[in-house]
Amino acid sequence: MSVNLSNKTILVIEDNAVMRRSMRDMLYTLGAQTIYEAENGIAAIDSMTKHQFDIVLCDFVLGSGKNGQQILEEAKFKNLITYDTIFIIVSAHQSADFVLSSIENKPDEYIAKPFNPQQLIRRLEKSYQRKKFLSPIEKEIVNGNYARAIHHCDKSIEKGNKAFHSQLLKLRAELAIKVADFQKAGTIYQEILQQRELAWARLGTGIIAFFQGQYELSIGIFEDLLVQNPMLMECYDWLTKSYEAVGLHEKAKDTLNQATKISPQSLSRQKKLAILAEKTGHLGEAEKAYLATAQLSEYSVHKTPSDFFGLAKIYSKKNLKMEALKTLEDMRQQFTGNPEADLRAATLETEIYQEIGNDKLSRQSFQKVKRLKKRLKGKTPIDLQLEIAKTYYLKEDPESADKIISELIHSHIDDDNFIDDIRQMHSDIGQNNHSEVLIQQTKQELIHINNQGVGLYKKGEFKQALSFFEKAIEEMPNNKTIILNMAKIRLHELKENGITQETLLQTHHYIKRAEQVGIAVDKLGSLKIEFEKLTRTLPE
Amino acid sequence: MPDMPINFPTLVASSIHDIKNSLSTVRELISQITANQQNSSSPEFTQLELETVKMNNHLIQLLELYKIDSDKFNLMIDEYSALDILQEIEAQHAPTLQLNNINLTIKCSDDLYCYCDYRHICNALSNIVNNALRYTNTQICISAYKEKQYIVFCVEDDGQGYLEQILSGNSIQTVSPVNTPNNTGLGIHFVATIASLHTAKDDKGFITTDNNSSLGGARFCLFLP
Repeated sequence: MSVNLSNKTILVIEDNAVMRRSMRDMLYTLGAQTIYEAENGIAAIDSMTKHQFDIVLCDFVLGSGKNGQQILEEAKFKNLITYDTIFIIVSAHQSADFVLSSIENKPDEYIAKPFNPQQLIRRLEKSYQRKKFLSPIEKEIVNGNYARAIHHCDKSIEKGNKAFHSQLLKLRAELAIKVADFQKAGTIYQEILQQRELAWARLGTGIIAFFQGQYELSIGIFEDLLVQNPMLMECYDWLTKSYEAVGLHEKAKDTLNQATKISPQSLSRQKKLAILAEKTGHLGEAEKAYLATAQLSEYSVHKTPSDFFGLAKIYSKKNLKMEALKTLEDMRQQFTGNPEADLRAATLETEIYQEIGNDKLSRQSFQKVKRLKKRLKGKTPIDLQLEIAKTYYLKEDPESADKIISELIHSHIDDDNFIDDIRQMHSDIGQNNHSEVLIQQTKQELIHINNQGVGLYKKGEFKQALSFFEKAIEEMPNNKTIILNMAKIRLHELKENGITQETLLQTHHYIKRAEQVGIAVDKLGSLKIEFEKLTRTLPE
Repeated sequence: MPDMPINFPTLVASSIHDIKNSLSTVRELISQITANQQNSSSPEFTQLELETVKMNNHLIQLLELYKIDSDKFNLMIDEYSALDILQEIEAQHAPTLQLNNINLTIKCSDDLYCYCDYRHICNALSNIVNNALRYTNTQICISAYKEKQYIVFCVEDDGQGYLEQILSGNSIQTVSPVNTPNNTGLGIHFVATIASLHTAKDDKGFITTDNNSSLGGARFCLFLP
């Protein structure tokens, strides 16, 4: 197979003019006719907005602005490229794939400088072959249609193409995990491991253990793997999650620390490290990780005010009040006109000014908090809501504070980590156990509601169960357990009573809600599959 | 990176990185100058090309050895087509082969698969081919086949063959860097290291060097379990 480049629209992104010219000339000699060039990230994004590219060749290091990885991220985020686009990252580092691995947005290929036309055309040919096999599956995954993705994947495996066999099996196992079919995933991994000890398959068995709540087992698997494979970045992430799940936050933090030493470029990992370091009281490490986060996110689409806020909080805790205020001012500059940034700044300023004895400025900031809070309403992130509650306590309005806290506990009672954060906040302001009564009450209430609802459902009284949970949702609109049960009952109803426009929409609504409130894919996956199967006939 | 503790190996490694980047631009400029010259196939250009490729390979090897030494290294093993690996190596050397009028043949079945780290095995074999390019007359053959529990990759040429001190005879090649004229043995040391990191149960990868090439020159074999 030979790729015909004459009908392809190609973008070359490279800051070095000599290299850019050489890449362009190379593409011309390979038969390309339509080539665009960009020398930096801004020009690249601009060009991708105007044209639909078939192939993007992008240098990783591009001077001071966005790097190649960030361009890919942004292009995907803004839907400027599709799964049919071939995106190749060009790098002087042989090991770019290592350094960057575990980043969600992987390019189709990496190619190391220097390379010649034959090498480039081979990469393109291989990418096109792989797309032919995998893009029908990937397309369904992107759209959330796991049943169809699995269907395509099984068909492709049946065809028995040896060249993609390993990749297809890996994908198939990952899909099985997504829909909580752990048995299938486990069988695939075990069969592979019988042939050869492959890190990705071993990692898979650990991930299954994790999702089945066997944390000791998963921790053992991940730790062993890292001894043999210190560069397996994904493994650090899973080990961190496992430690967190059993409450070993210190160990979780150390694991991430190790990972960021090897691969300091991952934004999500630095962010997570900052949060864990703060939680475990290592303010110095938290500061370092937040600074790294701010630096890495400078040109990223995923830059958020919460990172600046986190850094400012650390400075404030370290009693570096001026640094904290400066960071908040920085945040305002970086996010002009962003109400969340303004609200975050005002909230922390209320606290800081009070602490340094400037009551006037503190009061002014607090007025801002009240005003901005109304503007943001439901869009206020929960960590910020908690901070706002704290300022209400500081400003001696415990009733308003308690009201916020009560709502937070109601909607997040099944999120142990966040409930811990609430406890921590109360102990920070010298009100140990203030929230405990409410937490326990709400827990009981939830268990009670849930038992009653599930009881009705089991007795076959669907209508009553439905209206019961509907009321519960009014009370606790973001409660995961209730939403998940609601989705299950709706789905059951669909199966029992047949599909009507109304029931279909309702079921779809609750599955969507379940996704929005962050119910893990392993709990939701099987539901989604069932829903898909009920509502669509699969293509043969 | 202000508060990063710097030790000598790290300093050397990062310098190698910089040199490698500069070299990459130099190579680019050379190829552009070559393209503009009428007598572009003159031996000087050929020599220039070969020397820069050699420099680049040495730098890569040093960087990889540094990583192995400082535990910043592990193989990413998966199952790959042996033919695909050989074709990748062919592609990598295509311009030099053409420039020097050397004929490279590939002998490999298209249903032969092996477990390895693709990037490192390509790098390693590529080094050997580079070496062959310097010493061969007109022919290089790269091949792969199965022998017992091993997949064997061979690089053969029709040159003078290996010097006595590099030959492994019938046993496993254990050369560590030595000072022979024009050759530090770094290349072979590097490939042997990469080979030995490939393991399966009780078996370990290894290399052999002899002068039993069917083309009459040197033969290099890489055994992967």
